[in-house]
Amino acid sequence: MLDFQAYCGRGEPRFANDVELECAKLLDYYRVPWDYEPTTFVLERAPDGTVIEAFKPDFYLPEQDLYLEITVMKQSLVTRKNRKLRKLRELYPDVRVKLFYKRDIQRLAERYRLDLAS
Amino acid sequence: MGEIYLTAEEIRTRVTELGAEIARDYEGREPLLVSSLKTSVFFLADLSRAIPIPHAIDFIALAGYGGAASRSGVRFIKDLDSAIEGRHVLLVEDVVDTGLTLNYVCRTLSLRSPASLAAVTFLDRPYRRLVEDLPVRYVGFTVPDEFFVGYGFDLDERYRHLPDLRLIKLT
Repeated sequence: MLDFQAYCGRGEPRFANDVELECAKLLDYYRVPWDYEPTTFVLERAPDGTVIEAFKPDFYLPEQDLYLEITVMKQSLVTRKNRKLRKLRELYPDVRVKLFYKRDIQRLAERYRLDLAS
Repeated sequence: MGEIYLTAEEIRTRVTELGAEIARDYEGREPLLVSSLKTSVFFLADLSRAIPIPHAIDFIALAGYGGAASRSGVRFIKDLDSAIEGRHVLLVEDVVDTGLTLNYVCRTLSLRSPASLAAVTFLDRPYRRLVEDLPVRYVGFTVPDEFFVGYGFDLDERYRHLPDLRLIKLT
């Protein structure tokens, strides 16, 4: 496991892609406490109670009480994710979540010289 | 070179307004303006001359984020020359976007017990904040998600000297 200083979760975070890893390293560098996928928000259940739709944001920043969802999909392909995010905000109005699109990540990469392989 | 986003005259006008506002708020408190090297030096120089009350200036420099090579975390590579305990500190920033840098600077300097700690930023991109709880009291311009050069902003250390703020397209 990488030697993260500001990681406040349990267990080793298993990042889905290099962009998530770079975001983790960036947060860590600036000593902003972060957790990886700590919460699953149920968006829809079947009549028998089975979860049929859920949303698990990538990062949680406890000091900011803020969830971050990172997407590397093109803007045109994030419709489904946007819909889930709208649903999350309707069902959990007190939860603060921010979606970072590929373009946002590219801007961050330019500013911080991130090592993005994908 | 890209088109002009803010002319030197527009910048001068806004900096003058900020200076007057800061002078009103800090009257009798002799603030210390702290600038982070290097981009915001141009803004600091103009802002200082636009603040018609006694004040001092000082500088810090932070090690830049270098991706995989940066294991040790953010740190000052140049610290303040002056003590700030009991002083009114105003951080002078070139741009606030994620807020990560400003958050680190605020947390570090607040441990030194200043009488107050606030920030003025030339440019603001509030829609890109990762850290919200920041003492940004004065904003020059809220700008779109574009890349700028001029007025201290560089592209590989070039174009800082340009008096206007210009858009630049990165390929």
